[in-house]
Amino acid sequence: MKKETLKSILLMTPFIVPLILFWLIPLFMGLMISFTDWDYISPKFNWVGLYNYRDLFTDPDFLRALTNTAVFGAGTIFFTIALGLFFAVLLRKHFRGSRFYQMAIFSPWITPAVAVALVWSWIYEPDRGYANFVLELLSLEPLGWLHSSETAMLGIVIFTVWKSIGWTMLFYLGALERVPRSAYEAAYLDGCNPLSQFYHITLPLISPTTYFLVIINLIQSIQVYDQIQIMTQGGPGGSTTTLLYLYYEKAFQNFQMGPANAVAIVILLLILGLSVLSSRAGRRYIHYE
Amino acid sequence: MNRKYQGVHLVIKHAVLLLFSGLFLFPFLWMVMGVFKTNNEIWQHPHQLLPGSFDWLRVIKSSLTLGFEGYILNSFIVGILGTIVMLAVVTFFTYALVFMKGRYSEVIFFIVLSTYMLPSAVTYVPSYIILANMNLLDTLTGLMISNLPNVFAVFYLRQSFMKTSVEYLEAARIDGAGHLKTLWHVVLPLNKSAFYTVFVLTFVQQYNNYMWPSIMLKSQDKYLISQGLRQFFIQDGAYGMNWSEVMLASTIAIIPVVVVFMLGQRWFITGITEDSGIK
Repeated sequence: MKKETLKSILLMTPFIVPLILFWLIPLFMGLMISFTDWDYISPKFNWVGLYNYRDLFTDPDFLRALTNTAVFGAGTIFFTIALGLFFAVLLRKHFRGSRFYQMAIFSPWITPAVAVALVWSWIYEPDRGYANFVLELLSLEPLGWLHSSETAMLGIVIFTVWKSIGWTMLFYLGALERVPRSAYEAAYLDGCNPLSQFYHITLPLISPTTYFLVIINLIQSIQVYDQIQIMTQGGPGGSTTTLLYLYYEKAFQNFQMGPANAVAIVILLLILGLSVLSSRAGRRYIHYE
Repeated sequence: MNRKYQGVHLVIKHAVLLLFSGLFLFPFLWMVMGVFKTNNEIWQHPHQLLPGSFDWLRVIKSSLTLGFEGYILNSFIVGILGTIVMLAVVTFFTYALVFMKGRYSEVIFFIVLSTYMLPSAVTYVPSYIILANMNLLDTLTGLMISNLPNVFAVFYLRQSFMKTSVEYLEAARIDGAGHLKTLWHVVLPLNKSAFYTVFVLTFVQQYNNYMWPSIMLKSQDKYLISQGLRQFFIQDGAYGMNWSEVMLASTIAIIPVVVVFMLGQRWFITGITEDSGIK
């Protein structure tokens, strides 16, 4: 018995050690640093208590980053999940070409954000880019896209939705596969039309997947960085500076480790708070078998 | 039901899907076509999708002068070697968690799973300091080691391991196989598709990884492809002067990951059919 425990510890160690080294200790250290005024270069630092946090919540840059992140999150999560489900429903049955369509929708997800963000910055070019060309065809007003503080975030949201729909669709395809056929047969016998069948049977039965996807997309959208670094660098006029971008600027450009880690802890608390909130809300709507 | 109605339905479905596939693929198509265009052609109005000529020789010549081989090699080292080591570590851990249940197995799994919710940003500054103390800053080894605790992989493999029927394991044990033998000869083959899936997904993630590598890798010969691409884009000063070259660089950055994914795609299918054969 004891030998068995020893073996199990031996098998777990190679994973547990890096987990402690690069997750648990950093988490604790990050929290500690957020209570200091450390500047990374000097070995000395002072404890400042909650000063960094109080400072953040009176700092207009931080408050704007918070709003920007909320706008970005709301926009991407809603459209990614709704469109992901839409395509999964269209593609759930195998038919000629379904595999091609799946690959087409999934392809943006596998490509490096940096590479495709470069292509998209051409698409968004106000004078000669493709986005305004399409708007012109539809006889709509051209937009400033990434060059205007009013539309830059819209541009980032569209790009992100384009990139992440495939991932969501993949999870929904799996979930739809697992809905038992008998559930549909019963509904068919009861004379349900396809729409109410979708609403009363499919949606409740895939709700655990929806919950999972909301949480995953939440975590990801609060941590958006790559496309913003490439496409706008937080601009114009700070209109696309999100929390993680602000964190990067504070930590690795200005070396204000205290405030930077305070931002990181706020990101952490936001994710925890929102997941608790959505699991509360979910309890009423999520259907577990 | 009504044949005619079904036919119309199918046409609409294909039309909608074709339109959307076009939208999804358009940026790639534009990028690849841009490789063959001159800068004037890229900026001409109204837009033309096809370039004036497909000058393969010029494209091949300028691909060779880009100097991206080093970045791609680094990305592959991290994406393949890093992922294989990560898979080994995670497999041992998950095996012990699922098949050698002890008093604390549930607690350990709960702790590991809860870190999945944490934003990795919280760990960047401290991990940077820890790597610096280990003398692993600015090394690919450091990057790979810090990527080892992959909680998604634990989560995914655990789901799959739990479906493995206990009879096979017991049969192996009766035959006198130890844990490592059982793992290699029973658990591994029975969970092939889960391994392929985790491998391909992690490879894609590591190959594309940008923020953390660009924080901890500082010398240009260590850069991963995304960092190298960004460097290429900003080094000429004016942002995006030579779009034809930018399109070429982006295309070259994308091709390897697409190829690996396509190869993995075939393995997914084999894995899945094998899995359903066992059930």
